[in-house]
Amino acid sequence: MIEKIKQIEQEAQTEIATVQTLDHLELFRVKYIARKGLVPTLFDSLKTLESSIRPEMGKHLNDLRNKVQKLFDDKKEALEKNLHSEKESIDLTLPGRKRWIGTKHPITQTLDEIKRIFFKMGFEVAEGPEIEDDYHNFEALNFPPDHPARDMQDTFFVSDKILLRTHTSPVQIRVMEKQKPPVRVIMPGRVYRNEAISSRSYCLFHQVEGLYVDTRVTFSELKGTLVAFAKQFYGSNIKFRFRPSFFPFTEPSAEMDITCFLCKGSGCRVCKQTGWLEILGCGMVHPNVLKNVNYDPDKYSGYAFGMGIERIAMLMYGIDDIRILYQNDLRFLKQF
Amino acid sequence: MRISLNWLKQYVEINQTPEELAHSLTMLGLEVESIERLGDKYNNFFVGKVVNVQKHPKADKLTVCQVDVGEKTLQIVCGAPNIAENQIVAVGLEGAIVPKNQHDPEGKPFQLSKVSLRGTESNGMICSEYELDLGEDKDGILILKINAPIGTPLSKYLDLDDIIFEIGVTPNRPDALSHIGIAREVATIQNKTISLPVTKVIEDTAKISSKVSIKIEDPDNCPRYSARLLTDLKIKSSPEWLKQRLKSIDIRSVNNIVDITNYVMMECGHPLHAFDYDKLEQGMIVIKCAEENQPFITLDHKERKLRKDTLMICDSHKPIAIAGVMGGENSEITKDTKTILLESAYFLPRSIRKTSKHFSLVSDASQRFERGADPNGTIWAINRAAQLIQEIAGGKVLNGIIDVYPKIVEGEKVILRLSKLIEIVGITIPKEMVIEILSKLSIKVIDISRRENDDTIIVQTPTFRPDLQLEIDIIEEVARIYGYDNIPVHQASLIKFSENAPIKNQISEMKAHFIGAGMSEIITNSMQTIQTALLSSPHPVQISNPISRDMESLRTSLLPNMLEVIRENIFRGTTLVRLFEFGNIYFNNPYIAGKYLKEYQEVAMLTIGLSGSANRVNWDEKSRFYDIFDIKGEIESFFEKISLDNIKFIPYSTTNALSESDLRIEINSEYIGTIGMIRKDVLKRFGIEQDVVFADIDVDKIIKLADIKKKFMSLSKFPSVIRDIALVVHRTVQMDRIEEVIKQYGSELLRKVELFDRYTGEQIGKDNVSYAFSLEFISSDHTLTQNEVDKVFNNITKKLEQQLKAVIRQ
Repeated sequence: MIEKIKQIEQEAQTEIATVQTLDHLELFRVKYIARKGLVPTLFDSLKTLESSIRPEMGKHLNDLRNKVQKLFDDKKEALEKNLHSEKESIDLTLPGRKRWIGTKHPITQTLDEIKRIFFKMGFEVAEGPEIEDDYHNFEALNFPPDHPARDMQDTFFVSDKILLRTHTSPVQIRVMEKQKPPVRVIMPGRVYRNEAISSRSYCLFHQVEGLYVDTRVTFSELKGTLVAFAKQFYGSNIKFRFRPSFFPFTEPSAEMDITCFLCKGSGCRVCKQTGWLEILGCGMVHPNVLKNVNYDPDKYSGYAFGMGIERIAMLMYGIDDIRILYQNDLRFLKQF
Repeated sequence: MRISLNWLKQYVEINQTPEELAHSLTMLGLEVESIERLGDKYNNFFVGKVVNVQKHPKADKLTVCQVDVGEKTLQIVCGAPNIAENQIVAVGLEGAIVPKNQHDPEGKPFQLSKVSLRGTESNGMICSEYELDLGEDKDGILILKINAPIGTPLSKYLDLDDIIFEIGVTPNRPDALSHIGIAREVATIQNKTISLPVTKVIEDTAKISSKVSIKIEDPDNCPRYSARLLTDLKIKSSPEWLKQRLKSIDIRSVNNIVDITNYVMMECGHPLHAFDYDKLEQGMIVIKCAEENQPFITLDHKERKLRKDTLMICDSHKPIAIAGVMGGENSEITKDTKTILLESAYFLPRSIRKTSKHFSLVSDASQRFERGADPNGTIWAINRAAQLIQEIAGGKVLNGIIDVYPKIVEGEKVILRLSKLIEIVGITIPKEMVIEILSKLSIKVIDISRRENDDTIIVQTPTFRPDLQLEIDIIEEVARIYGYDNIPVHQASLIKFSENAPIKNQISEMKAHFIGAGMSEIITNSMQTIQTALLSSPHPVQISNPISRDMESLRTSLLPNMLEVIRENIFRGTTLVRLFEFGNIYFNNPYIAGKYLKEYQEVAMLTIGLSGSANRVNWDEKSRFYDIFDIKGEIESFFEKISLDNIKFIPYSTTNALSESDLRIEINSEYIGTIGMIRKDVLKRFGIEQDVVFADIDVDKIIKLADIKKKFMSLSKFPSVIRDIALVVHRTVQMDRIEEVIKQYGSELLRKVELFDRYTGEQIGKDNVSYAFSLEFISSDHTLTQNEVDKVFNNITKKLEQQLKAVIRQ
């Protein structure tokens, strides 16, 4: 018996060395380990032995079984490892399976950034209609009928008294009509101008209007809010200036300029050699506007401001033709 | 408004550089948009002397000249017939930009370079009056005065050392539409005084009152009318200095009389008009409104139909001018005019504005009158003009001015509270400084309260500043002169929020979802043709004054724009498109109340368009094109993302103008949108050669439906049991019907039903379809037993067999 065990062990060791493939290994398994293989068969013959030597032989047999099993396991692991490294030889420079990539329109990106800053300063969003009446778009905003100030905004008319809003300022009126101070809102939206389409102007564009009305709101605070915005948006090292201007619905009115970020103020094509870029219009809400929404101008004061999104987006990204924003060429959109 | 620096210097001393002055004006609210150095136009042009003229060897009409330009003598080939030796001429050298090209129909400028003309070298150009933009003469070269110094830069010879500021004057500042007006502002900030020219008219003994009578029939629209009569005039072209002044600010010279009225208007801002007195019937001037539809020919030779609100200047029989806007042909100054009636009037801004708008007729005069001229400025202006006419055109000025001014217009009396000033501006400006600023601006301080607790100052505004009416206007003036830059930047330490609860930013979140799903956001024009608008609604909003026929209506659907964008992208080589747009569509349906205006509706929409290959091109995957299930899947995922359920997709045979094989999307039986494929004939019309699938969804409705408070539901601690079911049904049985039956009989234990296979083939009969579903069962309070699941499962199979004649496959 003991010779038999030794012989099988010898044979198994010799044979395993010749195994090169998993198929061959399977033959090895069938020959030695499987139910009817050499090792189990030897176990079967154990019961024919005398009971006195049975335990010792059993121990030898167990050893044999463990040894053969280990030969098999080691070989299997080695072969599988080989196989694996064969797989690794695949060309990993092949490209990956990409997913689709979406893009946010540059107008939305610019608007989102503006919103983010004003949200931090406690402003909320309000909206109003694009098809407006003359009252909200002009009259309530202190543009009297037959006033030359109306020429500042070439208007598309739908009927005699209905028009496409020329600015987001009518939303100011709609918000204040519905709500008592404090009012602290921004009003983004689409506006229309009846102007010839060119690289500089399109028949419509987007604005963000801002409005804060409460007791003791001052021009000084207006400056503070807008300077804070400009520094967040354009960088903390910008220089700025406020120069007097005219809007019928604010007084005092101003336009805010910042140093041209292309030429750093030395004068270039974009800033028309002035070194300054106009970024927004603003002012203190005109007392006539407050009266029109039944706010007492002796009790409340407020400021308003407005800026054009396209203009800002064009400056930020260096886009030289406004029309490209509305062409939606994917080669353009994918750049943002 | 163009302002000449040299002209400005006549009224106020200026020590600043042009750039400094421009900055000062800009910071006063008079934005200098550009600075133009007139002399720059003639860089590289010099005065030269023709020393020798020879015939060109190869061309009859050309001559070869030697021209002395000071430092050197150049050979220049010239084609002018009037060239001769010893002439003093204007020579452009290499690099000079000739202002006008005689051989170009539009006269566009061109740059000179060294050229060879028929084999002879030419080093410059001797220019004509036209080429130098100094006049219309193209027939020969311009010959300069014989004593002109040779080699002098042409700009210096022409006295073109002037600088022109282009100022964007806001519509509230009519006073700034003149040189004196700008001089006043300059004086204000530089602590200087302006000096106005002294007007001195030498009057004849004959009295105007014997020749002219004036009657204002409409004093509301014409509060003042002043006139002078000038006789024995010689109409001719203006002297050079006057022509040059006007030219520098882009006003065409006409004749001495018209030029002087224009000059005075640009000097003081008050428009004047001159009538040929001999063309007036009975020397009479009547100011009244026209008769409706009365025809009238204006100076520009156009016939206009007057309205009954058109204010007219008439003689005893006929209208002779549209008041404040434009004169009539019938009383125009001609070269034969001997006697003129000079008008200096004040008209009501609103009336002039209405007329100017109605006739689309804008003149320098109408611009000033509609913004507001100075009613007390008529006399200075008329005397100034009379004086200049006398100097330039000779003649006599009759004695006296007829000045009809029934009700004197005074400046507005305004109460200024210093406390209000502080409240608006945010800082204290000392009372003395306020008073100083007011006086600089010619705002008269009438009274300063000395009472305690009374900080009021009563002021009277000057009549040349019609924009100053209210306390806030005075506050603005004080702040403007004090300097916006001197007002500190203040940030409130406490933010006061609006009373109303903020609205959630759902659209941004939705956009983020689609961008994450690999789509690109587009933004398109909301105006389109009426034909396109009518495709999607019988109630489009129409624009009464569109830019073009392409944009006469507001869009009624986002789809046509989407198709155009897809076409353009395919055309430019991008054939794989995944796009979405959030935007409004607009209707004018008189039967539906809009949110803001009755009869007008604005609906926020989301449109998605997919076209081209449905998967990105990969080296080991086959590509296929988009079909309806791709868009359906996108929408299902989107609804899952925003936690919307109870969604039904209902197929309907379409009558839609754009699409086919549509599915209506309903949530809780409410219609919220459509998905489908664009019809082949529509694709063809749009020039698209690949299928387009789309979704069109009402955003407001889904925002409303998705606006549910999210609430936590506890997760089951017990394992779920998965059972698969395979069945064969007749092909007429729709999938959703099977799902419905499974759900209906799945009891509360059934959590999820998922279709994982669909098969058709000969083996199961050609009219049959096989489906395989995976069913998940779970209980929240115990581990399910086989028995429990079997019971439900068997019931489901039984009902499927009974109700759908399904054959369950084992």
